[in-house]
Amino acid sequence: MSVFKRSYRRYSGPIASDRFRLGVLMRYGAADLWGSRITNVLFVLCMVPALISMAVIYIMNNDVVRLLLSGQNGSGPKIAMDERFFFAIMQGQCWPALILIAWIGPKLIAGDLANDALPILLSHPISRTEYVLAKLAVLVGFLSVVTWVPMSLLFGFQSYVSAVPWAGEHLHILWGMFVGSLIWIILLSLISLSVASWVKWRIVATGLLFATVFVPAGVGTVFNAVMRTHWGNLINIPDTMETLWIRMLQVNVPAFYTRAGLPTTALLISLFVMCALCVGALNARIRAREVVRG
Amino acid sequence: MAVIELSELEVRLANRLVLDGLSGKLAGKAIGLLGPNGSGKSTLINTLLGFHAPSRGTAHVFGLDVRAHSREIRAAIGYMPENDSFIGTMSGIHFVRYMAELAGVPASHALERAHEAMFYVGLGEVRYRKISTYSLGMKQLVKLAQAIVHGAKLLILDEPTNGLDPVARQRMIQLIREVRDAGDVNLLISSHLLRDVDETCDEVLILKKGHIAAICNLEEERRANRRFIELETVAAQEPFAVAIRQLGCECASFPGERWKLVMPETVEIRDLYAIAAQQGVQIRKMNYRRDSLEDIFLTAMDSKLGVARVGV
Repeated sequence: MSVFKRSYRRYSGPIASDRFRLGVLMRYGAADLWGSRITNVLFVLCMVPALISMAVIYIMNNDVVRLLLSGQNGSGPKIAMDERFFFAIMQGQCWPALILIAWIGPKLIAGDLANDALPILLSHPISRTEYVLAKLAVLVGFLSVVTWVPMSLLFGFQSYVSAVPWAGEHLHILWGMFVGSLIWIILLSLISLSVASWVKWRIVATGLLFATVFVPAGVGTVFNAVMRTHWGNLINIPDTMETLWIRMLQVNVPAFYTRAGLPTTALLISLFVMCALCVGALNARIRAREVVRG
Repeated sequence: MAVIELSELEVRLANRLVLDGLSGKLAGKAIGLLGPNGSGKSTLINTLLGFHAPSRGTAHVFGLDVRAHSREIRAAIGYMPENDSFIGTMSGIHFVRYMAELAGVPASHALERAHEAMFYVGLGEVRYRKISTYSLGMKQLVKLAQAIVHGAKLLILDEPTNGLDPVARQRMIQLIREVRDAGDVNLLISSHLLRDVDETCDEVLILKKGHIAAICNLEEERRANRRFIELETVAAQEPFAVAIRQLGCECASFPGERWKLVMPETVEIRDLYAIAAQQGVQIRKMNYRRDSLEDIFLTAMDSKLGVARVGV
């Protein structure tokens, strides 16, 4: 029907299957994020460490280039392509992801909450769970592109350019990078969504996201110092994550660097509790209608 | 089939009883939902949409239980909330298209439908502007556009004329009437303004303190009113009354040569004029009984709770 015909005509065309609704939410969410120049700039910046790492891998596996770089003394730079190197790559990719999500996380959900769009959104055949899952999937997808995907490509590149069989002996690195990144980006996504769902102002939500990550870390450190213990690290998200990454990648590091040996199970439980708190906060906030108590 | 069927519906929110044992069938083409503040109108709408779960009893929309089939019900509903509810950073057309796709309109059709809906509600010229820049009236219209874009079987309009100036209100009422008269769509209109409901609805559900105060079929009420006539005459005597009774009318006389008649379906007004002319009676004044929605509403508000039907 042409748009100039102004009489009401009920839509009678095809209706898409229910399973596509999640995709609609994800598609519009992702499009909204990509529409921002700041997102694009941050995204490119997040890829810089991966590009540098790729150059390093290339140089370390190319004798001619190393010779050119060696100068007069004849011995070129030497960096071992081992767990420690990939742990550094992981740090280089995962921490910028925190900056990226501090921008895109609140943006993704604040727009829906600013003008109370949830009643209209949820009056369509989608559930609250699907709504949150869709937003979560967008964030996980975005962060995957800057974390485990480039890291896996670097692993593949190293395997390809290595003169000796390398991949078979280091598969645990690939696995560790994938699982470690996934835990990190799911945690960040949940924290970001839950913070954004409670704070309508984006700038405040961004600040609060950083505070949620770093303030408990400071409190945990103070707790450790006062109580002469290491259990305060359980609320220290940066410390917890790096300890997990070290263990997952099986990095051979000095004992002091393994965060005083808190059990992996305890670390995982603490992360799980944080995720559960975020889900609880989302459950309380992502509703079509608020029920005023009292 | 009833559009909405309530069966002992009880809804508690934060341990407060908000809807208390509502029962009734609503089958009108356009159903008005009336009641003072806090009577439970919005809670009833939210329950029909599946936002609140009934604590007892149930409600059906097009025969579908709101508990078990809330997804199917929402697929058949277009909802226009009372308060601001939009994504301010989106353009009007983008927002309506988004809502169309969420309702199940394929992406290939959604844009065309969004354009249609925006032009239909009169926002064609501003469809590429961000919604946050719209006036209050435009925001109301864009909410209506997103409600009708996917071809809902039931439109739920919560205070559709809220905050509109008289011209915009008239435009909104006109749109609602057009949608109602277009055919296969039912409407549930919640409003504080009796005039809005009177102008658009053929059935009304009146709520009071979480109970049904009245369910009234306005169409039947209007038909009945048209048969009830009051006359003021000059020189009317007993033969005038006899002649009128012979037509089949019920007739009663009052001091001052005032008459009250109930006409059967077969009798027309011109028959009364014909008798008056034959008998030399002057009819100085003729009134239809006007039992307005306001009367119905006030009667329902004054009545004890539990009075179920008025004028049916």
